[in-house]
Amino acid sequence: MRGATPGQLAVGLLIAAFLLAFLAVPIATVIYVAFTEPGGGFTLSHFESFFHLALMRESFWNSLYVAAASVVFATLIAVPLAYFTVRFRFRGALIIQTLGVLPLIMPPFVGAVAMQLIFGRSGSVNLLLGDWFGISLPIMQGLNGVIFVEALHYFPFILMNLVVAMGNIDASMEESAQNLGASGWRLFRRIVFPLAMPGYVAGASLVFVKVFDDLGTPLVLNVTNMLAPQAYLRITSMGIEDPIGYVISVLMIGFSLFALWASALALRGRDYATLQRGGSSLAARALKPWQAALAYGWIGLVLLLVLSPHLGILLLSLGTVWSFSVVPDGFTLQHYATVFQDSPRMIGNTLLYCGLAALIDVVLATAIAYLILRTRLPLRRTLDFTASAALAIPGVVLAIGYLRTFRGVEIPFSGELVTASWLLIVIAYSIRRLPYALRSCMAALQQLHVSLEEAAESLGAGKRRTIRRIVVPLMMGGILAGFVTSFMTAAVELSATIMLTTSQNLAPMSYGIYLYMQSAAGRGPGAALGVLAVAIVALGTYLSHRFMRSRAVDLDRQL
Amino acid sequence: MSKARVELGNIAVRYGKNAVLRDVSLAIEPGEFFALLGPSGSGKSTLLRLIAGFVQAHSGRLLIAGAEVSGVPPWERNVGMVFQNYALWPHMTVRENVAFGLEERRMPASVVAQKVRAALDLVNLAEYAERRPSQLSGGQQQRVALARTIAVEPKVLLLDEPLSNLDAKLRIRMREELRALQRKLGITTIFVTHDQEEAMTTADRIAVMDQGVIQQVGTAMEIFDDPANRFVANFVGSINLLTADSALARELRLSELAARAGDADIVIRPHTIAVARVPGDAGRIWLAGSVVDREFLGAFVRYTVKVGEQQLVAEEPHRIGRESHRPGDAVHVGIDPEQARLLREAGG
Repeated sequence: MRGATPGQLAVGLLIAAFLLAFLAVPIATVIYVAFTEPGGGFTLSHFESFFHLALMRESFWNSLYVAAASVVFATLIAVPLAYFTVRFRFRGALIIQTLGVLPLIMPPFVGAVAMQLIFGRSGSVNLLLGDWFGISLPIMQGLNGVIFVEALHYFPFILMNLVVAMGNIDASMEESAQNLGASGWRLFRRIVFPLAMPGYVAGASLVFVKVFDDLGTPLVLNVTNMLAPQAYLRITSMGIEDPIGYVISVLMIGFSLFALWASALALRGRDYATLQRGGSSLAARALKPWQAALAYGWIGLVLLLVLSPHLGILLLSLGTVWSFSVVPDGFTLQHYATVFQDSPRMIGNTLLYCGLAALIDVVLATAIAYLILRTRLPLRRTLDFTASAALAIPGVVLAIGYLRTFRGVEIPFSGELVTASWLLIVIAYSIRRLPYALRSCMAALQQLHVSLEEAAESLGAGKRRTIRRIVVPLMMGGILAGFVTSFMTAAVELSATIMLTTSQNLAPMSYGIYLYMQSAAGRGPGAALGVLAVAIVALGTYLSHRFMRSRAVDLDRQL
Repeated sequence: MSKARVELGNIAVRYGKNAVLRDVSLAIEPGEFFALLGPSGSGKSTLLRLIAGFVQAHSGRLLIAGAEVSGVPPWERNVGMVFQNYALWPHMTVRENVAFGLEERRMPASVVAQKVRAALDLVNLAEYAERRPSQLSGGQQQRVALARTIAVEPKVLLLDEPLSNLDAKLRIRMREELRALQRKLGITTIFVTHDQEEAMTTADRIAVMDQGVIQQVGTAMEIFDDPANRFVANFVGSINLLTADSALARELRLSELAARAGDADIVIRPHTIAVARVPGDAGRIWLAGSVVDREFLGAFVRYTVKVGEQQLVAEEPHRIGRESHRPGDAVHVGIDPEQARLLREAGG
């Protein structure tokens, strides 16, 4: 393996060109505009004027506060659940695993309206509390609502990472502490949790970034004094020339990068691979009765809260009128009929856009993974870094970058504006979801021993045939997982969608849900559309899990 | 440091239907350096973990310093254990690792600092206090693990395969260091190993274990010279095994003795058998045979010699210029019947 072949170089250049055109240049444009005077030349005056606006200062602090508070609440929910899963032998572990996929199948903005109907000032819970105790909890008031909804939706990121990290702790780490006199809470605080820190930090920084970037939830909850809504409102109301939108974009990128950088920093230089070869992980114990009661109680409560938006959306989609009452007044299928009548196009659009985007993702991801792990292509690490960097770019920012970069550019031969084309939505989806697909393709290829390829080559298969007949088939599980993850998360993407959708005809479901939710009358159909989106995504998840499992069994048998 | 006696009475441990320890009784004297020797799966590690409190016995007594500890959780036993993989916490420095147990005992900071320094001095690692475990070599990690355990002044020191993760040269040095440290502290020490040489060179007494049963307890020499059964004979050193009614046994005039002992097997260690072209000293019985195989091991040459129907393994000390026999050569083997031992049970 010396240097790269012309073929590898060509593929590398193609990928680089795509990433350059649709990620690097748009983002560079956003940053450039934020620091440039109208006449050209470097300036900080846009930032100055940003911080002179009281609303902007407020939005800035609100976004920080909401993201931080969401991390805190998500932590409070996730840490006990992770501990129960790893520490105790009990059936609740399965429920906890299930909790892990819930935020993937329904984005917070879909459930937000339902949450308002359940936990809002005149929602079910407060109506009941008012009747029984004469009190009312301001759960959904203003920023509280955003924090509540976001924490409930994103805590599984902490949970799942923490469970994996705790599962990787060698039992002797804990036993040696017990041997030296530690037990109970002190054992957890001094040994178990610090050792699981990499998982926690990874999860927590992800939650921070997700919440900080989320546009849909605050918009649906009518909270506009945060950064993402302000960026959206400035650009849509003042136009693409308004520099404040770009300043906000730069700040959002800055905070995303900061969170990811801080998490990397926190873990740097620490050898945390603690599970020893042949070692066993932490011993699971049987629950004592009071522990079981506590564990099941907590799981039940969390499950109830986590499922409440799903339940609420379902009720909303089937209800006639739901206002100032604990449950809807009556039930009907009318909303579904409305949706099928009004917007079958949206469902089709979602399938088309997300299918295409996911396809682009897995093709790119497979190629990048191969280039990184199996070739000596120059700058291949940069390729990996650039593709992964999309994780730190909020959807709003990417969309603003596109609108600015491709302003006035026409698609060759058709004369259609790039910014008016649905292709731009597809590309935005594929760029934003590429990191997910890349991770799963990289993992799949990493598990594939080079000797399998070398065996094919020594039997006379060329590089290309080896890739086609050996590498891709054996990677198929990872490729499919990447496709499904990209597809599902794109199907419920709102922040880029909302800015790049130019006409009702081109709108995908996520945009449709948002539009419906704007009016009280549209809530029913919006919820119905939301249920359909969740059903499509859930079905995809289920099918991919089944496929993956049967494949995993096949592979186990073969290897 | 305190010296505690450890006493196990009729201990049984099962995992499901699988008996891991069966009716184990053992007394380890105060200040003794005691080895649990056996192959993997023999139950030796389970026995160690039982003493540490990580495994619960289904029946039997476990006394440390005269007190029953079966129901006492690990963190209240004050039994120090050094883990096979050292189990140093990667998120703490060497100092923090060693201080941990002292802090858990709620000692004042000044006492902790002083005891940490003393423990690190003891293992010659004082200047490594601020390093992280990952920055240390295997031998240094081992010593940190030892210091961390000794710092809390446990009643008993347990070592789980303490030398298995070290390379051959370092293993011998650490073996000597361990022995010296144990003598200095005088702490009752129990260590688990599958390496007979390690057990024999280090321990005062050894318990040989197999299939959850203690096969024999004794000093290294007792176990080597007088193995209690076929398993012990085979596991500690190598053997030639003759049945009482074999032709060879008759020629060695051991048949009758063995038959009288209830059809006992006859065990002869390879290093007691001489190999020569012509019969030598009269103290041995010399039998004619032919060389089947030869392995040169440096200090000695191991011959497989066919004598009648039986194949015998003999080990001849090697010196430069000494005559060496090749496969196919006709030789004589010289056996001193005094060096043979009878095995009554057919154990193992």
